[in-house]
Order: sequence, then C-alpha cells, then structure tokens
Amino acid sequence: MNFYRLCFTAFLLVSASLFAAEKPQRIVSIGLCTDQLLLMLAEREQIASLSVWAKDENMSYMIDAVGGIPLNNSSVEEVIRYHPDLVVASQFAAWDTAKFLRQLGYQVKQIPPARSIEDIYALLRQFGEWTANQKRAETMIHTMQQELVEISERYAERPRKSVIVYSPNGFTIGANTLENDLFTHAGYINLAAEMGIDGFKPIALESLVAADPDVLQIDRTLSRADSLATAYMGHPVLDKMIEHREYLDIPTRLRICAGPMITEAIESMARRR
Amino acid sequence: MNIKALKASTLYGILLPVLLLVLALALNVGPVDIDPGKAIQDWFNDRITIESLILFDIRLPRSLLAMLIGATLGLAGASLQGLLRNPLAEPGIIGVSNGAALGAVIVFYYGIAGIAWFLLPLGGLIGALVAMIVIFLLVGRNRSIITLILAGIAINAIGGALIALALNFAESPYAMQEIVFWLLGSVTNRSVNELYIAMPFMLVGWGMILYCGRFLNALTLGEETATSMGFNVARMRLVLILGVTASVGAAVSVAGNIGFIGLVVPHLIRPFVAYEPRRLLLSSAITGAILLLVADIVVQVFSDNGEMKLGVITALVGAPFFLFLILKSRNVLQ
Repeated sequence: MNFYRLCFTAFLLVSASLFAAEKPQRIVSIGLCTDQLLLMLAEREQIASLSVWAKDENMSYMIDAVGGIPLNNSSVEEVIRYHPDLVVASQFAAWDTAKFLRQLGYQVKQIPPARSIEDIYALLRQFGEWTANQKRAETMIHTMQQELVEISERYAERPRKSVIVYSPNGFTIGANTLENDLFTHAGYINLAAEMGIDGFKPIALESLVAADPDVLQIDRTLSRADSLATAYMGHPVLDKMIEHREYLDIPTRLRICAGPMITEAIESMARRR
Repeated sequence: MNIKALKASTLYGILLPVLLLVLALALNVGPVDIDPGKAIQDWFNDRITIESLILFDIRLPRSLLAMLIGATLGLAGASLQGLLRNPLAEPGIIGVSNGAALGAVIVFYYGIAGIAWFLLPLGGLIGALVAMIVIFLLVGRNRSIITLILAGIAINAIGGALIALALNFAESPYAMQEIVFWLLGSVTNRSVNELYIAMPFMLVGWGMILYCGRFLNALTLGEETATSMGFNVARMRLVLILGVTASVGAAVSVAGNIGFIGLVVPHLIRPFVAYEPRRLLLSSAITGAILLLVADIVVQVFSDNGEMKLGVITALVGAPFFLFLILKSRNVLQ
C-alpha cells in the first residue's frame, strides 16, 4: 500500500513538473463555464474536448464557436480518452469527475464561483495563466472595463430602480452574488440584498409582495406546470404584480457564467431601466 | 372515559366559533405584518395594494384550502373507522393517501394535468380508489387491527416506492426534490387555482359520505342487521368509498399526503357525540379543519421560508397518539 502511494505521489510530482513549464496542448473542459472560457481565451489547437453544454442553446453563449470540437459528458472515461494535459472545470460542476481525475494523476484546475465583476477579472487572469494566454486575458479585461464605463455613462441620467429576482421554488438572489453586482452596475437596487438576504435563498411570497419592487425579474417561460417548483411561478399574485410593473427577462446564457458576456447582460438591463 | 355527550347545538356552538377564531388567526399570521383592516378596505374599493394582495391572494386561499383539506381528512377518518369498524383506520395509515399521491404525481409530472382542470384530482381519486380496493381485498370483513396495519404498511411502501419511481423518470429537474411535498404535504404558496381544482371533488365526496351517516349507524350492529334494516350494504359501501376517495384524492392532489388528522380527530370527538358514527361525521370535519389550520399556523410561525411541511407537525402530534391507541388495544392484539 505504501509502495503504491509512493509511486502515485512520484507520478504526480513528475507530471506536475512536466506540465508546469509549457503551454498545455490537449485541454479538456468538463463544464459549461470553462467551455466558454476556453473558447474565448485559448487557441483552437489547444482544445481537445468541451462538455456537451457548450452546444446547449439556452445555456451557452459560445455555441457558434464550438465548430467541430468533440464534446464530452463530463465522465472520467471520456476525458482520459483525450490524454489531456490539463482538465478544467467549475468548482461545483462535475466535482466527482474532477476529484477522480486528480486521483488518477491528471492536472485538474477548478475555477471558483465569481461573486462580483472583480472576481471575473481575477478569473480571466487566472485562466489566461493556466492556458498560457495571458495577453488575450488582459485585452479582454480591458475591453470589459471600457464597456462598463460606456454603459454607465450612456444611462447615467436614468433613475435607479429597485428589483427582485423570483425563480423556481421561490428562490431569490441576495448579496455577495455576481447577479447582485450586475444589478448594481446596471443601476438597480436589489431589494433582496437590502433585506439582508445573502446568496441564493428562498423568499416568502408575502415578503416579495411586501417589498414592492419597481421591477420583477422572473422567467415566465418557467410557469408551465410540470413541477411544483415552477408551478409557484404561476401563482395569481405574480400575475397581478406583473400587470402593474415591468419585468426583466435576461437570457440565461448571458448571466449563468462568469465572463465578458455579462457586459451584454448589464447593457440590456440598464437599457430597460 | 367518562365524558358526557353534548347536544348537537352545544357541540357546534363550540366548534364553529373556534373554527372562525382559528381562521381569523391564520389570516393574521405570515412572514409580513399587515393591517387586515386596510387590506379589506382596499379590496372593497378594488384597489390592488400590498395588503390586499397578501390577505386575499395569498393568505385567504391558503387558509381556505387548509380548512377544506382538514375537513376532508377528519371526515374520511371518521367514515373509514365506521366502515371498517376499526379504530385505526385512516387514509394515511391504510395507504389511501399515498395511493392518491401516486395518482396525482403521474398526472402532474407527465403533462396530463395541463389538458383539463379536473384531471389532477381525478388522478388522485383513481390512485386512492386502487389503494382502497387493495385494502378491501386484503382486509375484507376481517376486523383485526393487525391485518389492517400490516396491509397499510405494505400499501404505503408500494405507494411511496412508485411515487419515487415516477418522480425519478419525470422530465422536470425539480421533480425528485419534491417527493417531500407528496409524502408530508403542504399548503405553502398554494393559490386560488388549487382551491378551484380541488373543491368540486371534495364537496361531492363530502355529500356522499354524509349521505351514508345512517348506514354507518346501522353498520355498528353488523352487516346482517344493516341489511335487515333495509340498507343495500354493497351499494352504500360503494357510495362511501367513492366519497372518501373523491375527497381525499382531491385533497392529496393539491396538498400532498398530510397524515394522522383523520386518525386523531374522530377519537377526540367520539365521546362528545355518544359514540354515534353519524353524528361523528360533521363534527369530525369541523375539528379536522380546525386542527389543520392550527398546524399550518405552527408551520408558519416556526419556518417563515415555507420549507417545513404540514405533515411534520401532524405526525409529531398524531404518531404518539397512534402509539397510545395501539397500547390501549393491546389486549385485542394479543
């Protein structure tokens, strides 16, 4: 047993030192957000495989860039077939696959969840380093910063509005989340954060009504009744609330992952302020 | 027990005001403090305000639904105990509620419910009816408590497993997490939509059960006596079973399986109605409504995000009572 452990550690050390020096050439991504970052930052020849989510119409922003890159279902077997020199994943997506691959001695890098736009910059830098594309990352960050300044100048004269998100199972988005930071940048006040809600938590329907936001962000396409979670979205009280105020419906693919596309989400939110 | 039976007027004179009081309390309890006076004023003046939305679109439908479901469960418990002549009969314990939940789950998660409003409660009814038929096949005219409980365990296990199976294959990513709702029941975020869907079936079911009151009285003397008194036993039994499955099926299809109300309520009331099954029915319905409303108030006081389920409260109170009943009938069991 000890012998195996020794061999294993030695293997890890050797492989780590081998890969550290040069540019990774066979990168496999096993999650949506890392798929998109790879497509944006890495050179096409560096990418060996992406997850099937990269081609999902509702979720993926980079669907057109996927081209003929082979897709995987985030399983260990599929990943090792590509003999990857780097596997990238989100911290919470396919974490069991990531753990297994690491045990097998593969180089696995996991991106932490972004809780603000600053986090996105840090993430892009980090990802640029991992894939040896630092320059592209810096350019991308610079463009994002410029775009954000432009957006805030363009809509500066419009009044700030209050907003609340209501999603299946009555979950709302509070402070310390990327979405909250997007609202702030787009000129909104997130009432859930003001109410002291931190992270992603359920809110009572009554509290939602009492908060009386100017804008309700709600995905009405989810009100079809094939689960209780989405049936809540069809509660008559929400219909009445929407009758009397605007509601925001930002496409999921613009806001589900950390990346430069969030400026597009901010723009469309600010435009409707 | 030495409790004096009460006159009907006295009994309802106590129960009905208590019900109204509890309803008023339920309308005042919620995560947000509102002024009910302003809510009512706004509502009468056709103004949509925060207060009127909370009182009339959130709290009132939810509380009315809790009342109707509580009444259904009390009525179902009282009539099943009379029909099976068994003190432990209850829709939850004998598996009828799980059968109803299974029927509702299949209709709800596989897109059938969207076709017409009555399909959801109808699914509950059919599921409840199948469970009821199995109970009759297993227990039949046998009055043994043990047989009934064991049959109930088996039907509940099969029902629970099939619910899990059906949810597992459902397309919605939320389906599997919602098994808690179906097994423990809740009226949180239920609206006037659910009230409209379930009410017709419940009211028709109640009518059928209440129609069988005299038959239940006669049945206490045995089937032969009931027949000799002019009752068509097979027909009356069918009416009663359809009444119970229609009302329980509808209740479960909008609020899940809320246990033990149907067990506890008739035992609480029986001494006050001189152990007469017919008089037990309506009084059990009102008491069931009171108890479920109280349980829903407790749920809201202890968990303002609505994550706690009604069945948690009813089981915490009902299950010890169930044990007490088993201990009391131990001599019968041995």
